[in-house]
Amino acid sequence: MTDFIRELLRVTDWAIFAYFVALNSSYLGLIVLAGLEFGRHLRRAAFAGADDMFRSPLTLPVSVIVPAFNEGAGIVAAVQAMTALRYPRYEVVVVDDGSTDDTFELLRNQFDLVEVPRVVPGEVPYRSQVLSVHVARANPQTLTVVRKTNGGKSDALNVGINLARHPLVCMVDADSVLDPDALLSVAKPFGDDPLRVAACGGVVRIANGCKVIGGRVVDVRMPRQWLVRVQVVEYLRAFLMGRTGWSRLGGLVVISGAFGIFRRDLVVEIGGMSHDTIGEDAELVVRLHHHLRERDQDYRVIFVAEPVSWSEAPSSLRVLGRQRRRWHRGIAEILGKHRRMIGNPRYGRIGLVALPYYVVFELLAPFVELSALVLLPLGLWVDAVDLAFAWRFALVAYGYGLLISLLSLFIEEVSFHRYPRWSDLLRGVLAAIIENFGYRQVLAVWQVSGAVHAWRGGQAVWGAMHRKGFDSEPSDRVKETVGA
Amino acid sequence: MLEVFTVTIAVLAVVVAVTAGAIIAVRVVRQIRQRRYAALAAGPRRALLSFVAGNGEEGSADLIAIPQDAWRAAEPGALALLGKLRGEAHQALVSVFLHRGIARKALGDLHSRSRVRRARAAQVLGDLELREAVPELCRLLTDRHLEVRVVAVRALGRIGDPAAAWRLIAGLDQNESIPSLLATHTLVQLGPEAEVTLSAALDHPQARVRAVCLDALGLLRATGSVQRMARILREDDVLDVRVAAATNLGRLGTRSAVEPLTGALTPARPTALRSAAAKALGDLGAPAAVPALSALLDDEHYWVAHHAAHALRRLGLGGLAALRAVLDEGTAEAGAHARPSNASGHAREALALAEIETQPVPVPL
Repeated sequence: MTDFIRELLRVTDWAIFAYFVALNSSYLGLIVLAGLEFGRHLRRAAFAGADDMFRSPLTLPVSVIVPAFNEGAGIVAAVQAMTALRYPRYEVVVVDDGSTDDTFELLRNQFDLVEVPRVVPGEVPYRSQVLSVHVARANPQTLTVVRKTNGGKSDALNVGINLARHPLVCMVDADSVLDPDALLSVAKPFGDDPLRVAACGGVVRIANGCKVIGGRVVDVRMPRQWLVRVQVVEYLRAFLMGRTGWSRLGGLVVISGAFGIFRRDLVVEIGGMSHDTIGEDAELVVRLHHHLRERDQDYRVIFVAEPVSWSEAPSSLRVLGRQRRRWHRGIAEILGKHRRMIGNPRYGRIGLVALPYYVVFELLAPFVELSALVLLPLGLWVDAVDLAFAWRFALVAYGYGLLISLLSLFIEEVSFHRYPRWSDLLRGVLAAIIENFGYRQVLAVWQVSGAVHAWRGGQAVWGAMHRKGFDSEPSDRVKETVGA
Repeated sequence: MLEVFTVTIAVLAVVVAVTAGAIIAVRVVRQIRQRRYAALAAGPRRALLSFVAGNGEEGSADLIAIPQDAWRAAEPGALALLGKLRGEAHQALVSVFLHRGIARKALGDLHSRSRVRRARAAQVLGDLELREAVPELCRLLTDRHLEVRVVAVRALGRIGDPAAAWRLIAGLDQNESIPSLLATHTLVQLGPEAEVTLSAALDHPQARVRAVCLDALGLLRATGSVQRMARILREDDVLDVRVAAATNLGRLGTRSAVEPLTGALTPARPTALRSAAAKALGDLGAPAAVPALSALLDDEHYWVAHHAAHALRRLGLGGLAALRAVLDEGTAEAGAHARPSNASGHAREALALAEIETQPVPVPL
């Protein structure tokens, strides 16, 4: 019996090792694809035609939808930045989802809002009640603020989609700061390939530590805390490189709710945001794939790497834990909800490659990571593996992970090099190393907890998020947001 | 097996070290190159700015005499400047580019095997607004690569030679053809002289070609094509094309467009067409459309009623009076934010917006 257990542990340890190699190799593949895509993008920058798009009277107008719940700390700066984007024709629709702080009052005072009795169409379902609709007196066609009873982010987005007047809807988090050309870049694929592009995601970077003035990131810096620095590297690897790689493969299934743009008619056709999923942004994209594949429609869902939306990352373990539980819970819910697509050839690359990948290398990865943390010492204890194997195993697995992070930093340095200081570069490299000692393991615990919560069918709760706002001018405003 | 692990660790260690070194090397090389380019470009940039500030009357010889390496460093800035200039300053800077052989090189690069070089060359020729390049750029409209065709189309738009119109229209009728919006914008840039070609293309068998030509005619305010556009609005088989016809009749701003547009409002027509026609009547600014639009305020389709209300708002006093009349009659009892569309709700919304638009914006002291 003991021999059997030993053999089982030995085989399991090898299987886990093989899994780590496969996982990191898949990241490597995505990073290589992202590198190729960035090279392609940069070589074409001179004739990309962004200025022509800005000057064209035919550029598709965009409705930027900003759901806001207790965003008083940064809402004014965010809306100021959003109303000053470089884009020929667009509107900003802020949906105040029943804030209990001064979010609305701040907006009213800053933009001189006046109430208008808008008729809200019910093209996509919403559960809450619209209390009032306001427009900026000086610019009623550009800024609309909706007050509604609290119904959660999806509900707020659906109200915004209903009120959006333009053919493209861009969903942006209220704590996001957009680069001036962000909208132009993310909407450009719709102009280049209007018949096929259904949705486009923009890259989200971490704003902590950056100097933000008047709703603009004017100086990009590494955050002060190591916890956030590690997230910077993680965002580069997973979001910038990973999603660019998936986009190149034609298998992008996640567009961040912090910055994504969609054809309004398609979003209406599929019923808007889902009310019963916590990862409503990714769920929308998967549902869009589902719908368009079933219609045998030739379409594209793509990702643009620059310019960017800047978001505030959690700076405490407590908030980070909530966020990661929520993200993983979202993945588990989406994969459960769309399980019929997984492995189904009818859904092309999405069904055969992207979703199976998400099951094996996203959903299950923290389970395997935690298993390794338990089974490897256990194997050592029962003599199923020897110490020489164990430390080499750990070194290869984590060394490969470190290499992936460094390659991400390398490609970032070659292509966009957004962190100009040498000290920040060094901090990035150190963060890539530090990430392997504690951060990844704790993350795995949170992620497992999130997935288990989804499978148990617990109630979806957004949780609290402490935010400080961006403007570098001194501010004591720290607020807590608790979404529905 | 342990040896394999050991070798793997050694290889990983080397690759990690090389990658870390490469990150540093990339930054060092970039910084050195940036400094060198900045130093090289500083002189030419000053000369360029002084040349442009003087409207190109003096200093062209200095620019032509700039050594090649310094010019190469300054060229992206010079090209960007070219795009921002108009009139004599633009012509003067173009002549500098021509003297430096940039156009000749770009014409040669149009035949390059690299699609990136072909596209870059087309972009430069467009920036230079070089009419002599039109035949070569038209040839690029059948390039194997879409991105090259797209840049060629943009370049043709900047040059603005109406002779390219029919080639552009032919370019729309391809597999993986150029984007409609780009084609439309370019056709508009060709100017009113392209109107005859565009009008003739309204009979093209491809729906997309007809839609693009309608958009271009609308933006060119080609009032001479109103009858042909009205016929398409009534008779075309493809709904999107009819919607484009309605939208662009509104852009023409001519009274003769009122009758075909009001005809498209009847309940028997598709909702998208009625909605577009209502909006177009607002764009048209014809008070004669007030009765037809007023009748739509109670339409069961939100967008039809919404566009009718806002079209009335834009029609001035007559339209606003019609909106007030609807409110006074109290044809509907529902509240301001009721979900189903209703006449009074839409009228109230449009009137509120009209009131805001007519109020003077307070100036902060």
